[in-house]
Amino acid sequence: MTSTISLTIDGQPVEAPADATVLQAAEAAGITIPTLCHHPNLTPPAVCRLCVVEWEGRRTLQPACVTQVAADAVIHTRSPRVDLARRTILEMLATTVDLSDAPELRAMLAEYDAHPERFGEDLTRREHEVIIDNSFFVRDYDKCVLCWRCVEACGTDMEHAFALGFSGRGFETSIATFFENPMPETTCVFCGNCVGVCPTGALKDRRVFELEMATDY
Amino acid sequence: MSYEPVLTARIGKIDPASLTDYEAHGGFQALIRAVELGPGRVVALMEEATLLGRGGAAFPAGIKWRAVHQAEGPKFVVANADESEPGTFKDRVLMEGDPYALIEAVILAGFATAADKGFIYVRGEYARAYQRLRHAIARCYEAGYLGRDILGSGFEFHIELRRGAGAYICGEETALFESIEGKRGYPRLKPPFPTQAGLFGRPTLINNVETLINALHIVLRGPAWFNSIGPAHSPGPKLYPLSGRVQRPGLVEAPMGITLRELIEEHGGGVSGSGEFRVALVGGAAGAFLGPDHLNTPLDFRSLASIGAALGSGAVIVFDTSVDMKPILQRIADFFAHESCGKCYPCQLGTMRQRDIIARMVAGQGRPGDLQLLRDIGQTMRDTSICGLGQTASNAILSAFELKLT
Amino acid sequence: MTSPQTLALTPHQEQALQTLLRRYQGGGQSALLPLLHDIQAITGWVDEPTARAVAHTLGIPEIEVHNVLEFYTLFYNRPVGKHVIRVCNDLACMLAGHEAIIRALADHLGVPEQGGTSADGRFTLELHPCLGHCELAPFLMLDEEPMGPVSPDQIPDLLGGVS
Repeated sequence: MTSTISLTIDGQPVEAPADATVLQAAEAAGITIPTLCHHPNLTPPAVCRLCVVEWEGRRTLQPACVTQVAADAVIHTRSPRVDLARRTILEMLATTVDLSDAPELRAMLAEYDAHPERFGEDLTRREHEVIIDNSFFVRDYDKCVLCWRCVEACGTDMEHAFALGFSGRGFETSIATFFENPMPETTCVFCGNCVGVCPTGALKDRRVFELEMATDY
Repeated sequence: MSYEPVLTARIGKIDPASLTDYEAHGGFQALIRAVELGPGRVVALMEEATLLGRGGAAFPAGIKWRAVHQAEGPKFVVANADESEPGTFKDRVLMEGDPYALIEAVILAGFATAADKGFIYVRGEYARAYQRLRHAIARCYEAGYLGRDILGSGFEFHIELRRGAGAYICGEETALFESIEGKRGYPRLKPPFPTQAGLFGRPTLINNVETLINALHIVLRGPAWFNSIGPAHSPGPKLYPLSGRVQRPGLVEAPMGITLRELIEEHGGGVSGSGEFRVALVGGAAGAFLGPDHLNTPLDFRSLASIGAALGSGAVIVFDTSVDMKPILQRIADFFAHESCGKCYPCQLGTMRQRDIIARMVAGQGRPGDLQLLRDIGQTMRDTSICGLGQTASNAILSAFELKLT
Repeated sequence: MTSPQTLALTPHQEQALQTLLRRYQGGGQSALLPLLHDIQAITGWVDEPTARAVAHTLGIPEIEVHNVLEFYTLFYNRPVGKHVIRVCNDLACMLAGHEAIIRALADHLGVPEQGGTSADGRFTLELHPCLGHCELAPFLMLDEEPMGPVSPDQIPDLLGGVS
């Protein structure tokens, strides 16, 4: 039996299990914290940093998805620092990838008053050809935000197929197969889990993709 | 001011390949002493000495040693020899010139913490240091300093030498663990900290090379000696890799807290190029620029932190008044964009946007809000990046704008 | 990565590679970087069949080998010159005039100043982040041999002296 502790989130007294994350504690108290890479069925990679919150007395902002609550913590899920961080990350994301298939992210851009255009036009972007190499799903990495969900779903979190990994590093990272081979030549078992967890339409059911293509014209 | 070098005393005087030469110059005396004292007393000495980590994070070494000493095995000791901070070459000089000292220090740390095994993770580009350490480790096995029943203490210890493969991020301790484990050098989320769950998920003592070498002298000469050198808040001998526009670039060993002026004038022979000092980059690319106002600021952890800078690795790169600083800033921005691992968004995206914006400013095509953008990116990276790389990736560039260097 | 390319090994290299793989059999993921270093010491770079053999030797998923090859700049999953020249491209070397070194090398090898492999495949020129030899600026490494301070007029001899 885990004990219950008390803390303060956004000025509101909150009770939470001692092993809860800040995200869980906030959700239980009806406070919404935005997330992107987080998925309930996957190990939180805590890479997107959109869920960061301000924890009084801690040097940096804390990712709510993986940070454990503590007794008497005073946490702010919205503050000028938090908003600046979320806004800047969203702006940089929007100037890097195609978010047209990510309505939740576009809503977040509006909520945080993000203005990607202030970054100017002459920016390095991540551009990839659409990969159609199997009859089940299409990979459009122009839309990939590198949330790691597909890699985790393909690996130890779900399928243990280990077909997906990474090419490059830093900004130039991309999700890739072994030596970037076509999907049918990899260990992919076409379980579809990666498509199911993709939040931005980078991985898409091939029929859906073709239907969208057909109705675009 | 006369100061007798300690950390670098043997360098250039002994044959780095020769174990007997090392032994004839005080080698393995610290380990012999440590075995006499026993692990608990060695850890106590490390706690009494105010040894702040020399890799740059300035974390008290004694706290780490105590934590791993008390942890349940199996556990590891790791020497972080992945020196990659621009301007930094101190650990390379130590390893090339006195390789047995690092091995002795790792064995000593292993003995004090009752660790099962030590790893030395050497930067991939440091081929010569790697070869010398490899030879030295083999000699130590032959001579019984490694293996079973070391110095009749009953303690068994092994060292595995590892080689990095070209990734600045692997100097970050948890990325280094990932690399030893055969993975991409992605930093882990903390907690847990290395002393709780480090290499292979086990309690791990990880120290920088210079930190470990200091431990030998703390055991031999005592914490009182150590604490008497330099300022009381961050004492001890310190290595300052000095480069750039000075007459005599090189590795300087001095008491912690030497000033920039002393370093440049007394050790570096003065400014070269135009002969007139403009600015110094202290702490490497992750550090900050210091102008003439700070020539008398002591180069120690606290004094530099108090002016918003950082000692970091202790690297000092000097720029004279003839240097065009624009390509310098571009290079720093390029460096971080190249070395970001790409794991967390603020650093993955921020280092590239920082690079893009600096590029257009350098080309004379800056936009009105560009400085504000750099500040927003900098604050976001500092506040939300997983590790120190992203948290410091904007420091030098923002400090250059503060000083109006361009 | 573009068209698949494979290593052309001499029988002697092939034998050395097989011996190496036997030595690492069942070594697990932690042996991945050491094995890749050892392979490259024989072959220079790692092609797809070799990467597959690495995965099978260590008993790890193939993708893990790809992930690592792609992350570390000293590992190559495409052809690289027989000798690699890494010129330090960082601050202290900039201040010491590394541009002239890079230009001399690029001219001599007939490759762009941003780096590249000579037409005869003998040399690859790379600009490298700080190599940690700032007191010896401008500095370069010819394979594993550190050299500095280097002057542009040394370049022809330096390259001519390599087999």
